Amino acid sequence: MADGPVISLERLDKSFRVSQREPGLWPAIRALFRREHVEVDAVRELSFEIQRGERVGFLGPNGAGKTTTLKLLAGLLYPSRGQARVLGFDPADRRPEFLRRIALVMGQKRQLSWDLPSLDTFELNRVVFDVPRELYERRLAEMTELLDLGAVVRKPVRTLSLGERMKCELVAALLHAPEVLFLDEPTIGMDVTMQLAIREFIREYHRRHGATLVLTSHYMEDVAALCERILVIDEGRLCFDGSIAELVRRIRPLRRVAVRVDARLDPGTESELEQLGQLALAGPPRLALDVAPQRVPAAVARLLALPGARDLEVHDAPLEEVMRELFARRVSVREAEGA
Amino acid sequence: MSAGMERRAVSRHLRLLGAQMRLSMLAALEYRVGFWTEGVVGLAWSLGGVVPLFVAFEHRSDVAGWGPWELVLLTGFFLIISGVYASAVQPAVSKSMTQIRTGTLDYVLLRPVDALASCLTAQFEPWSLLEALTGIGLVIVAAVELELSPSLGQLGALLVVLVSGLVSLVALGVLMLCASFRALELQNLTSLMETLLGFAHWPISVFRGPLKLVFTFVVPFAVMTSYPAQSLIGGLGWPELVGAVGTTLALAIGARVIWGRALRGYTSASS
Repeated sequence: MADGPVISLERLDKSFRVSQREPGLWPAIRALFRREHVEVDAVRELSFEIQRGERVGFLGPNGAGKTTTLKLLAGLLYPSRGQARVLGFDPADRRPEFLRRIALVMGQKRQLSWDLPSLDTFELNRVVFDVPRELYERRLAEMTELLDLGAVVRKPVRTLSLGERMKCELVAALLHAPEVLFLDEPTIGMDVTMQLAIREFIREYHRRHGATLVLTSHYMEDVAALCERILVIDEGRLCFDGSIAELVRRIRPLRRVAVRVDARLDPGTESELEQLGQLALAGPPRLALDVAPQRVPAAVARLLALPGARDLEVHDAPLEEVMRELFARRVSVREAEGA
Repeated sequence: MSAGMERRAVSRHLRLLGAQMRLSMLAALEYRVGFWTEGVVGLAWSLGGVVPLFVAFEHRSDVAGWGPWELVLLTGFFLIISGVYASAVQPAVSKSMTQIRTGTLDYVLLRPVDALASCLTAQFEPWSLLEALTGIGLVIVAAVELELSPSLGQLGALLVVLVSGLVSLVALGVLMLCASFRALELQNLTSLMETLLGFAHWPISVFRGPLKLVFTFVVPFAVMTSYPAQSLIGGLGWPELVGAVGTTLALAIGARVIWGRALRGYTSASS
């Protein structure tokens, strides 16, 4: 197979025509006869490429266009303008040869039959995706073991917990061993243990099959743990493409040095520390100082010299904070442009 | 597409139909009380289909030139059509409408099979087939009572109009489904269709003027029930036969084209 991007987008646009009206009874009655519409641009001039086997995370605030982009790539939506290619196909054509090589898992939508055990939906997908019986049995056994599903696949879906259901959704989506896997909020609403289990499974699937992963998640841990590259989308536009480390360095170049302490700082020590960097947490129990990379040794030495200081940690700013700062900056730039 | 690929596609879609029917059967069997209740309702519904006949013949000896056993024959075809609608078309269209509204149609569209075929086999209600079976029984009884011995040509015409009627019924279902892409709360359309289907209980000669035109060419109940009965009795001419095929083709092609356009406008309810 020729080398080249598995996914490529060129100036892709998607806009929706959305009706709108004022609140209240009279506007509602008027809207029965005459409704106003506005064009909403969900995705604007989006261009990027993803290589085979890459793990890419989409980050952005709610309504940024992440899910719309995934749906465009999976062929569920037709682009308004521009071009998308996935595995050499135009996704909008929804050709069977294309659909047999991709999968989309949505954390908030269900494909499993509610009243039946998951196994019955798996069997339907086996037929639909034309998976030979022997291969199906092998993959099912492999995934059931990896996800520790056991007898869960034999229980009616309506009796499963959210986490168990999501694990079964993943099996249903992966039985045909897709080369490109789109995941839209796969761990939404789950407890930490279940998030970890699902993350581990996705990582293992990638390792075994070399699949290309494209993920959206509100949980930064998902993205940080699974994706080597992130694309930040805001208002339908691509505003960052690179590694998490690069993003952190660009938005928050400071490193965080933190220790556990038992007492509050006296004003003298506080002002002394502020000469080294920004005091992010003034404890107890945690004291954290954001400092330039070259000042890390000095900050470590000074913090460890504090009475009762222990549990030293040096790390980049948390991704959540970086994202919050990134979007806050963009909002203020937009406000300044609008003023 | 080569002949081999076409054969594989047909075989895959037949297996899809089988798998979806199996899933619907399993879902119907999941709730024991519901299963038997549906059975009793299905039985009552099929027997209820014959009641209008008794009412009509209480008051007159024929309806628009159709004698009692001829009307039993027509009722038989009506029950076949109505049974197919209630067991296959209506449940599948309703389920697909719900999927459009909730956005779970996404998963249907991600399957490597024809999306329309997937939608039309989305749900199946086995008990409603009792109605169609009762219809087949009525057709046989009426044919015996009328001492019909149809020629090969008549049987051929019956096959053509019966298939045309079923295809028209499915095409109307597809058009209802397409409408729900634009207006999401259109579940009532399937009930409206069920009510309209009641007109197919009577021979087309009962209707006059615009209604006759509508029931022949737009919502072709004539093709679904009157023409099959006429083909056995001997009253179906070439013009009706050609008209039935033409109307069906127009409906089927129109439904397919509109389905394609509707899919392009699918917005996939947000997650």
